[in-house]
Amino acid sequence: MRTVLKVVDNSGAKKVMCIQAVKGKKGARLGDTIVASVKEAYPNGKVKKGKVVHGVVVRAAMQRGRCDGSEVKFDDNAVVLVDKQGQPIGTRVFGPVPHELRKKKHVKILSLAKHIA
Amino acid sequence: MRLEKCWFCSSTIYPGHGIQFVRNDAKIFRFCRSKCHKNFKMKRNPRKVKWTKAYRRLHGKDMTQDSTFEFERKRNRPERYDRNLSENTLKAIKKIDKIRGTRDTDHIRRRMKGKKAKELREAHKELEQNINLVKAPVVLREDPSLTLPIKVKVSQTQAEPNLMEE
Repeated sequence: MRTVLKVVDNSGAKKVMCIQAVKGKKGARLGDTIVASVKEAYPNGKVKKGKVVHGVVVRAAMQRGRCDGSEVKFDDNAVVLVDKQGQPIGTRVFGPVPHELRKKKHVKILSLAKHIA
Repeated sequence: MRLEKCWFCSSTIYPGHGIQFVRNDAKIFRFCRSKCHKNFKMKRNPRKVKWTKAYRRLHGKDMTQDSTFEFERKRNRPERYDRNLSENTLKAIKKIDKIRGTRDTDHIRRRMKGKKAKELREAHKELEQNINLVKAPVVLREDPSLTLPIKVKVSQTQAEPNLMEE
């Protein structure tokens, strides 16, 4: 809630503020989906300022434990905007993404990413 | 499962330990413990931090070039599982580690070797010069047994005729 995340696809939004974690009372972490409100947007994008969108958290500064016991953390908080079905709105994804997304079935985002951490 | 190396101190990171930090340019930094992680966050250069392997290798404290290091090169191609290969590899790992350990200690011993002679020389010199701190010069003159034995150079010509006579 109220976390401002960077948008790392070319859907047109720049900054997005989290309104709600879609699943879970304790909040969303790396790999979860959130409901967010667009706070900053490029002028000619698919998504306009003030719109309520869904997004998948692809980078989080908070470490997340992996099954082998190690922990990963990223440099910033970033999100990829998706529609209600989970398909990304944009066509490109920038920066590294974690392979936690594979378990959450966000295969399309993984295929668009240049680096998988 | 893969044993990684800590980015800061170069020690092995076993599974279940440490933190991986992924930078936005997709470079992954692995740390074995929070000590290394905190030093990284402080932006310290491991080549300048004395207890890291990077410093030790750079300053010649630990050996840098050895054939045993070739075995640990990272291979990105996964090997097809072969039981014999696995067994032989496990045996080889133990042997290589032992050899590398002995070579390491040899290197350090060689590095420290010149010191003993130097220490002896320095101790000798200190005794000669500063014996007055221990005993007053008056006492030394009276009792010559307290001073160091004076080395007298015996000329070679005296020794040789003796041998010839025998």
